[in-house]
Amino acid sequence: MTVKWILHWTPTPGSVVNSQILSEISQCVESFVNAVKDGRWKATLTFYRPNLRDQSIPSEFPRDFLGISLLEQPNKYYFIIRGNKIILEADSTILTIMEKLQSYKSKVALNFEGVQYKMGDFQMKVVKVVPNQAESLRGILIEIEYLPLSSIEKAKPIMEEFLEVWREVMSKKSLPGHFTQTEPHFAEYKLPDNYTSQHTAIQYAAALAQLIQSAQLRG
Amino acid sequence: MIHPGFHCHKSEAHKSPKKKSEAQSHLTPAGAGPLCRHRAAAVCLFPAPCVSSRRPSSLPLSLPSCVSRDLISSQLSHLAFLVRVISTTTPPSPCTLSLCCPVASEVRLLCDLEQAEPSWTVRHIGGAMRGAGAEQISVLVRTMVESKASKNVLRMFYLLGYKLDHELLRVGFSFHFSRGAQITVTVSSINKMLKLHATDEAVPVTPGIQLVEVTAPATAETYAEVASAVSFFCEYLAPLLHLSKPGISTGVVPTAAAAAASLMSDGGGTTL
Repeated sequence: MTVKWILHWTPTPGSVVNSQILSEISQCVESFVNAVKDGRWKATLTFYRPNLRDQSIPSEFPRDFLGISLLEQPNKYYFIIRGNKIILEADSTILTIMEKLQSYKSKVALNFEGVQYKMGDFQMKVVKVVPNQAESLRGILIEIEYLPLSSIEKAKPIMEEFLEVWREVMSKKSLPGHFTQTEPHFAEYKLPDNYTSQHTAIQYAAALAQLIQSAQLRG
Repeated sequence: MIHPGFHCHKSEAHKSPKKKSEAQSHLTPAGAGPLCRHRAAAVCLFPAPCVSSRRPSSLPLSLPSCVSRDLISSQLSHLAFLVRVISTTTPPSPCTLSLCCPVASEVRLLCDLEQAEPSWTVRHIGGAMRGAGAEQISVLVRTMVESKASKNVLRMFYLLGYKLDHELLRVGFSFHFSRGAQITVTVSSINKMLKLHATDEAVPVTPGIQLVEVTAPATAETYAEVASAVSFFCEYLAPLLHLSKPGISTGVVPTAAAAAASLMSDGGGTTL
């Protein structure tokens, strides 16, 4: 699997995320030379909470336990406990098992809905974050993928160079915000240098955590 | 689905105490009360499935090649007699067949040590099917769901608050048949580890006795047919093994020669 970077939109203080900004960002991508729209993409992230009889009792169970499904891995599911830097990749039947165990319940589910663009050796996705069964825009992400390489370290300088070009394109729009990459800390999750879907899951989880934190600060 | 409880009997018809025979490991959900909806929630087995080509060193007798080409030639000895016939199934309509006492559901983490890189499976086994229909069939039906998982699955369950109840090491053979259902027979020794995860220091739970399990996958629509196929298959094995519901003493094959003759026949009494 080839290397991806996921960045999240950070609005400038006082501004908000809305569909206008999403549209402007999409136009920036489409303005790239050779950019071709290449279909839609989706992922779902679910926050789980422990199923306690008395929710008021402080528990020792993780509160940052989440699960992610990715369109490109339809038969897999990824569980992450961010605080413990652990990711589990399992068959999607693990959801049935969790349902039967009833020890954790789904609390909140968010959808990542993206439009993919091909542009030579790169692929980009413009991703909107929306609650499950709702349309309100909660955040914007972009995913940059460099197709020739699977090594995260080797791809780093190339990705940084691309990012500089991207920021230059974005600056012409004078949008109220900028894209930020959250350090995914792959090594802490004991993931190898070779990129996998687990790396993708961790990045989306990290990006969402940042979006939530930013929203809370603005609120 | 592997049923947790089973009786192992020596050829002398010694009945193992039920408590020992149900010495399976369980991971229990953390916090006991608040999160625990079932008593014996999970099982951790080190490792799980047997490899059919493996020869157990503890089996002295040698039999000629088996009657069915489905069977891999193997060495058989005095067999532990499985009281329970169990079966596995896969989603989306999980249904298992088993001859055993109704038990609570459980979750197990299975590690296959036969591979170069150990692989892990999470297996949830539901409580037994009950009711008039269940009593009429000679096997027990239990739901089972499996999921392959990455190697940190045990750590993940610990972090989610689950506790290790116990762990066991299974070593043996498995055989696959197509007899009206996809039937798997496993013959294995069950070993306990005196120290946590110390598979090299495992000791047999019942020395000299192997557990024989007969399983077959089924769905909610097919379980009656599969139950019938499994029962018929058990009858076919009758000269060698008497498989019955738990609590009922199994029979013992009087001689190894009779066992060999049975396996060499085509199941219809004709010697090949």
